[in-house]
Amino acid sequence: MPKAVAVDYQSMVKKPADFDAFWDGVLQQAAAVPLEPEMTPDPLRTSEDVEVFQVFYTSLEHVRIAAWYCRPTRRAERIPAVLLLPGYQADPPIPKEWALKGYGALSVAPRGKLRSNRQFNPGYPNLLTYNIMDRHTYTYRGFYVDSWRGIDFLLARPEVDPTRLGVTGSSQGGGLTITTAAMRSEIRAAAAGAPYLCGFMDAMALTHTYPYEEINDFLRAHPDRRRAVEETVAYFDGINFADKITCPIIVNIGLQDNVCPPETGYALFNRIRATDKQLYTYDGHGHDAGRYKHNAIVDRFFAQHLLSER
Amino acid sequence: MDQRPGDFEQYWQQTLDALAGYPACPEIDVLPLRSTDFATLYGVRLTSLGPYRLFGYLSLPTGPGPFPAIYYVPKYQSVLEIIPQGTANLQRSRYITFALAGRGQRNADTPYAAMFPGLLTDDIDQAASYIFRGIVADSVRGLQFLLTRRELDPRRVLVVGNDMALITAALQPGATHVVTAPTLFYNTAELAPRTQAYPLEEVNDYLRAFPDRVEAVRRTLAYYDLRAFAPRLSATTLLMAGAPGTLLDAPALGPLVTALRGQVTVYASEQSNYKDGLYVEQWMAAQCGITDVHNILPEHWR
Repeated sequence: MPKAVAVDYQSMVKKPADFDAFWDGVLQQAAAVPLEPEMTPDPLRTSEDVEVFQVFYTSLEHVRIAAWYCRPTRRAERIPAVLLLPGYQADPPIPKEWALKGYGALSVAPRGKLRSNRQFNPGYPNLLTYNIMDRHTYTYRGFYVDSWRGIDFLLARPEVDPTRLGVTGSSQGGGLTITTAAMRSEIRAAAAGAPYLCGFMDAMALTHTYPYEEINDFLRAHPDRRRAVEETVAYFDGINFADKITCPIIVNIGLQDNVCPPETGYALFNRIRATDKQLYTYDGHGHDAGRYKHNAIVDRFFAQHLLSER
Repeated sequence: MDQRPGDFEQYWQQTLDALAGYPACPEIDVLPLRSTDFATLYGVRLTSLGPYRLFGYLSLPTGPGPFPAIYYVPKYQSVLEIIPQGTANLQRSRYITFALAGRGQRNADTPYAAMFPGLLTDDIDQAASYIFRGIVADSVRGLQFLLTRRELDPRRVLVVGNDMALITAALQPGATHVVTAPTLFYNTAELAPRTQAYPLEEVNDYLRAFPDRVEAVRRTLAYYDLRAFAPRLSATTLLMAGAPGTLLDAPALGPLVTALRGQVTVYASEQSNYKDGLYVEQWMAAQCGITDVHNILPEHWR
């Protein structure tokens, strides 16, 4: 049997003193960029029950971001909506199943992903360490904003009830769920699975699997840059965003997760400020984080917080 | 079931003959950033049918060899991984690994950039030009390349992946073991209407848009059905079935098991990356005579 995971694991990440100022500056830059949303029906993917649209909007540095938007064909005047965020190497899915449950659903492809890689394309592997020496140009500076701006797209949709917005994803999508819930006060409920981008420096010591192994590769080649890397990723570590989360949130982790070490999941959860928070741990599960069982819990969670009108 | 086309052998022989008309012209460059003291990583460019230039990651363990080899066939996703996400990097200390991007995937997306979803139905109503005819050729070319490596132990060559693993090993001699998880090409015409999940939903989308093409799609899919390839496969095979009750569970795959010529182990998914992944790692190690697999597992599986 694998060894037990320390539930009181202490992350080595430290929050930079100017963390909030850094992100305030980023958001100010982003606010100056018009969203320019574009939504085109996709008849090939549209069915009797679900309307599918190809979406583009503009984000930081004027990068055009692609997404899929689905909504139920038969719907109330106002529907709740969920922002879906993708895994590190996953191609963002068309979220028909969410529309079938009654939500508007936006599945975003942040910069560098397929359909959002015309202006920014560091590749895989490489995305995790691209410009990792400089927080002002690091991959995830724009990548985070791309995700957060998905909320702006949903708020601009006349059929979306702005008081019933949720966010979810697993792995990188789990990490992005954390930062989105932290930075967008409009979020009413968040469900993060196997969160990546939480405890960067912890993870690369706890495991030697990709994608975190990209940082180990980088530091093996450039051992003198370790401190600079630590300083950069501290601005992007989900654990440092966790104290901004106040909405109801659930987190699920696998205790044998070979990609995002469960220790970092505990460290994250302990830092989340929300009082309405719940951690689900799945022994005997890896990076799936018990998805097979947990999906029903996520469905109930969002139904409770978003499906009933306020 | 999809009827095996009468010209099935001819269709694939023509494909292989056409592939043979293009020399691979391998171009191999060391990638120092991803090399360690236990393995060296190379970027490999190869020519396939078309001609089309492909890309793959070849990792060679440090030491004299010969080594067992794992060939990771093209996946159904845009990203090409060095080794699958979550695999311990130390796997590269014991096996040669070769991961190939088929046409359309990253690093092999010029001039053809595939869409996901979208790839599965690209020209699916035209068997002669269906995109997967080229991708199968790509995958075969990858195995041909791997088999040329002098560091490789020809008695321990594993081909690992989705449907493409079985198809590749059936078309190209040299694989001693196959790990295959049917996803795209098993009884597709019958099973797709029973799900709304991608990638099979692509077929539903396509036929909803072009209902008059249903027979043409069925004809094309018949050339790719795993049951048609199975009699050609003699390698020892680990068949990764879905969890009981899912679309591709062990009972559903029964006809495939019956049709395979070599020794077959059927593993039913436990809906756990950990349990399923650990089983595969241990199975591969056992087949290759690696007795200390514990040392090359991810830390949280040890």
